[in-house]
Amino acid sequence: MLEVVGLTKRYGETTALSGVSVEIASGEIVGLLGPNGAGKTTLVSIVAGLRRPDAGTVRVCGIDVATDPISARRRLGLAPQELGIYPILTVEENLRFFAEVAGLRGRPLRQRITEVAEALGITPFLSRQARFLSGGEKRRVHTAIAMVHRPSLLLLDEPTTGVDVQTRGRLMEVVRGLAADGAAVCYSTHYLPEVEALGASVAILDHGELIARGPVEELVRAHGRAALELTFEGPLPPEELVTQLGAEASDGRLRIYAQEPALEAAAVLTRLGDHAHRLRSIDIVTPSLEAVFLSLTGRRYGAQDEATSEADVDGEAERVPVS
Amino acid sequence: MERPNVSPSRSAAVARHELRLLRRDPVFLLTFTLMPLIVMAFIKPAFRYLIAPQQGISVNGSEQAVPGVAVMFSMFLVGNVGFGFFREYGWGTWERVRASWASPAEVMVGKTVVPMLQSAIQLTILFGVGGLLFGLHVRGSILALGLVAAAFCVCLISLGLALLALCKTIMQLNAFANLGAMVLAGIGGSLAPVNALPAWARAIAPITPSYWAMRGFRQIILHGGGPLAAIGPIGVLAAFSVGFLAFALRRFRFEDVKTSFA
Repeated sequence: MLEVVGLTKRYGETTALSGVSVEIASGEIVGLLGPNGAGKTTLVSIVAGLRRPDAGTVRVCGIDVATDPISARRRLGLAPQELGIYPILTVEENLRFFAEVAGLRGRPLRQRITEVAEALGITPFLSRQARFLSGGEKRRVHTAIAMVHRPSLLLLDEPTTGVDVQTRGRLMEVVRGLAADGAAVCYSTHYLPEVEALGASVAILDHGELIARGPVEELVRAHGRAALELTFEGPLPPEELVTQLGAEASDGRLRIYAQEPALEAAAVLTRLGDHAHRLRSIDIVTPSLEAVFLSLTGRRYGAQDEATSEADVDGEAERVPVS
Repeated sequence: MERPNVSPSRSAAVARHELRLLRRDPVFLLTFTLMPLIVMAFIKPAFRYLIAPQQGISVNGSEQAVPGVAVMFSMFLVGNVGFGFFREYGWGTWERVRASWASPAEVMVGKTVVPMLQSAIQLTILFGVGGLLFGLHVRGSILALGLVAAAFCVCLISLGLALLALCKTIMQLNAFANLGAMVLAGIGGSLAPVNALPAWARAIAPITPSYWAMRGFRQIILHGGGPLAAIGPIGVLAAFSVGFLAFALRRFRFEDVKTSFA
């Protein structure tokens, strides 16, 4: 359904994408993961024909986006990262516009609006102007627009940004339903637990490169090593001690890979000696997508974006405060 | 390269959508259609004395007040073409429109139909109601008057597209559209007959579309001109339209990101 081969995109000196290749089959949900600035939005935009790549090809249902962008666009539905709805129109009018442009008229149009509104729980707001909706309701309308014409390929760029738990759950349910009906779904997010909950396979981008691709379980099995992460007040312990502990120093932390990190913690504290007094926290990284990212990049997921890192790792690592 | 592709039904869908947006917020159109009628009332008496000696025929002032004010206020609608795009940037819907089934040509056609319609409605009301209220007597052909007005509408929309292509922010568009409307209308003879303008303004007046619109209207209203008399002004207005459109097509990029208020 979607074939991306060797995609490269530069913005001046910055390389947003570097030789990215990825495929999504009909009925497959692919979680496009990566921290902020990893290249997710650039990839989605190029697939949607909104930006031109410097190199590489994108085919949607076998149609080359570069040579026939209009035909390619008619196979896909896009919900960009930025909220895009007409605030002064009603929800129904928002949906109607994009459905009419896609050629729907009369009863099929009304039926499709009803279906999509029902699925996303926006039926009670159909006659309300979009500007009067809450943030979560607006996000549901935004996503509904992307699927109102039954696209073969659905591109959702961070669809759950800023939404409540209820909306998040409903969106994910709808995405699973669409895939079950045969649509290919590219679900860009930086919330790792979401992808695990979707049962999606993943494509992990980092600094514009695809660093992993496959089902979550496979990646976790191959790369998701459990570890202990130690953060210190002041400088890290001396190098001899780091070597003795079998640790890696990265991002101002010590990382010790272990089969049972919780059991390892007590021994490590003893071996730290006086340096244990400067310990600020011990994180236990369990085998998960977070651990996969850590293992492949040597960095905590979201470490570049401190504002979101705490939320991102929730559920991925258990933090043990050290008094 | 995207091939030219215009489906009337998709362009119509875009135009219907623009009409829905207009219906939700018609204040601009209503204001710029009703307010000129009040302005006509203010300035009609002054024009009676200004144009009577020049023309040597019986006039009541509406011969200049009605077309002059209509031309000036219709130029204020030029910015509407660009605002229709800038609000999409502000609402975050432009990328959605670009990723929709509509081709760039279908979007452009659909989005210019409604401003064109607005200009046509505005000119019709200003000439119709203004004419009735202020006793405008058209000595020449009404058909010719309509043809000049239609050519002027097309010219205004083309100018609006050129402005859209030129401006990177909504503030630039706002400044150029409003100031441009005043200056072009003034130099073109909307605020006062061209003969009453200073020599330097008379010299440059023919480089403005408003001059040719006013010249056409004057030929028909004051001198009883028919379609033949309108051919010259219509031809020049058409040439302006082609020039503005060529500029817009060359400069406007569908993928451009422009800055709106939001």
